[in-house]
Amino acid sequence: MSACDVVVIGGGLSGLVAAAAAAERDKKVVLIAKGVGAIAVGSGSIDVLGYEAGGKPVARPLAEMGKLPSNHPYARAGKQATAKAFEFFLDLCEKGGFPYSGSADVARWVPTAIGTLKPTCFLPRSMDPAPLEAAKAAVVVGFRGLKDYYPELIIRGLMQVPAYPKRFRTVIVDPEMAGRDVNALDIARWLDTESGRHACIEQMLTGIAPGNVVLVPPVLGTVPNYGVLEEFEKATTCKFIEITGMPPAITGLRLYDLLVSEIKKRGVRIVEHATVTRAVVDNGRCTAVVTHGVDRERTHPARSFILATGGFYSGGLEAGVGSAREPVFGLPVKVPESQSDWSNAFLLSGGAQPFARFGLDVDARLRPTDGSGKAVFENVYAVGRTLSGFDDAFEKSGNGVAVVTGYRAGTLVA
Amino acid sequence: MKGYLYDSDRCMACTSCTVVCPVAAATREFLGPKMVGPALSRFRRPALAPDLAADLCSNCKNCDISCPSGVPISTLNMLSKAEYYRHHRHRLRDWVLSHGQLMGNLATPFVPLSNLAIANPISRTMLGAFGFAGRMPLPAYVRKTFRKQFRALRQQSFPQKVVFFPGCYIDFYDPGVGLDFVAVMQANEYEVVVPRGLGCCGTPMVANGFPGAAERAVRRNVRALQEWTDAGVPVVACCTSCSLTLKQEQQELFDVPGAAELAARVYDATEFLLELRDRGKLKTDLKQLSGRYLYHAPCHLRDQGIGRPGFEMLGSLPGLEISDADAGCCGLSGSYGFKGDRYEVAQAVGDALFKKVRASGADAVISECGTCRHQITVATGAKTLHPISVMRRAFE
Ligand SMILES: Cc1cc2nc3c(=O)[nH]c(=O)nc-3n(C[C@H](O)[C@H](O)[C@H](O)COP(=O)(O)OP(=O)(O)OC[C@H]3O[C@@H](n4cnc5c(N)ncnc54)[C@H](O)[C@@H]3O)c2cc1C
Ligand code: SF4
Ligand code: SF4
Repeated sequence: MSACDVVVIGGGLSGLVAAAAAAERDKKVVLIAKGVGAIAVGSGSIDVLGYEAGGKPVARPLAEMGKLPSNHPYARAGKQATAKAFEFFLDLCEKGGFPYSGSADVARWVPTAIGTLKPTCFLPRSMDPAPLEAAKAAVVVGFRGLKDYYPELIIRGLMQVPAYPKRFRTVIVDPEMAGRDVNALDIARWLDTESGRHACIEQMLTGIAPGNVVLVPPVLGTVPNYGVLEEFEKATTCKFIEITGMPPAITGLRLYDLLVSEIKKRGVRIVEHATVTRAVVDNGRCTAVVTHGVDRERTHPARSFILATGGFYSGGLEAGVGSAREPVFGLPVKVPESQSDWSNAFLLSGGAQPFARFGLDVDARLRPTDGSGKAVFENVYAVGRTLSGFDDAFEKSGNGVAVVTGYRAGTLVA
Repeated sequence: MKGYLYDSDRCMACTSCTVVCPVAAATREFLGPKMVGPALSRFRRPALAPDLAADLCSNCKNCDISCPSGVPISTLNMLSKAEYYRHHRHRLRDWVLSHGQLMGNLATPFVPLSNLAIANPISRTMLGAFGFAGRMPLPAYVRKTFRKQFRALRQQSFPQKVVFFPGCYIDFYDPGVGLDFVAVMQANEYEVVVPRGLGCCGTPMVANGFPGAAERAVRRNVRALQEWTDAGVPVVACCTSCSLTLKQEQQELFDVPGAAELAARVYDATEFLLELRDRGKLKTDLKQLSGRYLYHAPCHLRDQGIGRPGFEMLGSLPGLEISDADAGCCGLSGSYGFKGDRYEVAQAVGDALFKKVRASGADAVISECGTCRHQITVATGAKTLHPISVMRRAFE
């Protein structure tokens, strides 16, 4: 492979943002990915910091960050980089034609497909819950046959929310889909077509009136723009809100497509379906990483490397009996000696899970350390879910940490 | 055989493959990769009656490209198709489509009569009755196969050798691409070898449920290439489905001694040239070119884990303006889009690409895959080229 300045390993949110930030500084970037990251099937909302370690909701995420322990990824990245990272992210979305709204200063609570609320910060405009807070009544639109989305369940939950209206109605749209199970992607593709949009609007109009606030699953088109949203708003003079749901949750797919096309515009070369298995090191520096296909190995030299391989979900971390490891560089992953201390036996207790915090310890420049604070390689940086010191599922910070650390590493690489 | 690759239990049901599958997007009759591949494979194990759920899969491999767990979904699909056809009869059409080499050997001596025989309205109707898509013309056979033309070629001899694997498409339909490859290598002081005994790579047989025939094809090719692979000579293909099969698919499906050693030497032509360029081994005094082109990356190239070397090479040629169509699968997938009952799906899959091509106003569309080029030309009327043909103009 042609030499370049930076190799980013991993095509999830952290890797994409890192690649964009490095390319913005005119670095020659190659991004290597085994598969797609969680963002392609997730909700695409950028959670920043939803809960304190004790489980108390955080009202002002940015301010709260000052209180985090020094090994938390936000603390490692630093206050200034954190603020800049979110600015950079918002700018990327704007340039990609799918502007996000929100800020890290205040938490926003958004409805979910099971009728609960979840704290987040940055959202596509189509997910902004503000109209719901201002409404006296709302309509939940369901789609016949759609899996994992039950208007009654949503209404039962949202009625309990003090800030929300107490009157809800349901309208069921029939997309007339034969064949396999219907998921949100199927509906979104239907609404990508003009005939689908017309049929949907016509059916909705039997149950909604001008000025209504209308909740829909994440189905307003697969493309990262607000074309479907705007057409719906114009045709019905209603406000629409997309609710986050189970994978595939199309709102994340839109963000994924947007970021891939933005990094391509910035000249990043993408190598898909390639797994990095090892690194070539020389005297405290990494000189190349090696991909391993069914056919043979290939070497990718660069000046800097950003490890964005995710956690256990994506294979960035691997667990064995009594130990965990990072497979590319063989970096140390500290775990409790006794495996019984790895997890909270009550899986659905709502409590934090120790294993969710496993990952790489990094220095102030996001370089993985040997455990005693010293960087193992001077030119290897780690970002996103590979890092230790946070529990993204419990504290609700996954995409926020991915954006902040990805951006920070992209600005640090030589 | 790299049998460890079959582990369907690595699937964590994340739905990434479902999101990218172009056939699932085009038709609701296809259950999608997650269901047809890993999920159903678990049920297939206890020897239930074989099913045809995978029949709609085109083996385009977009699912494999997206999977974060490394599940070889498309290969699971091909295995289940093969299992079905072990117990059921094939359609004659599928036999014809998957035995392109034999058909080519039979038809080529009678060109142009054989083309007339396929293209005239009466036989088009008859082909339709056999299950071919009436609206999708089969590519026309050439009078002189690549191999025949190659044998008549006077090459300059150089100590550096490279083996060229033509494959059926270039041999019978598009020999110019093979000749362009020879010219580019000659300009860079390489001698091209085409060993006797090479045939179809086997991928059409895999895709149509003829694993036995595919395995025989693999064995023959491995044997024909052994002397060269033993000597460390690179084996290069201009067809991305051939190179993918030689590198990967044959190892995933069959246990053929020597296949791994061969795979380690196989290159896509543009991958090979880019590597030579990076090692400073290509001519640098290139001719000035001109023209505006649109590039389409074949799925079987994207699956190889080598990026887009052709796009990269073309971008560095002087005077060329090239942009990436970035519009997904063309829909044809080798033999898939020629089938009457798959034609609509194939056209729907390719629609985004066709729109990009029509809107681009480019002088030509460049793509490594012969059947992608055929599909694009038939659907849009656009002129199409293999990257090597453009490179020839710069190097010669
Ligand atoms: C289903 C789901 C939904 C979520 N929803 C939300 C949400 O709504 N909001 C939120 O804030 N957070 C959410 N999260 C959490 C958040 O998505 C993740 O924490 C964050 O996106 C992780 O990004 P990442 O880039 O670090 O890792 P990942 O997204 O895991 O990406 C890792 C990448 O590295 C690649 N890779 C791994 N190993 C190798 C290798 N050896 N060689 C090459 N490539 C490799 C993978 O294929 C992948 O492309 C969700 C998580 C999941 C699983
Ligand atoms: S190979 Fe292509 S058509 Fe078949 S399941 Fe995978 S993505 Fe779908
Ligand atoms: S992408 Fe891979 S892990 Fe995810 S559902 Fe498909 S096969 Fe399973």
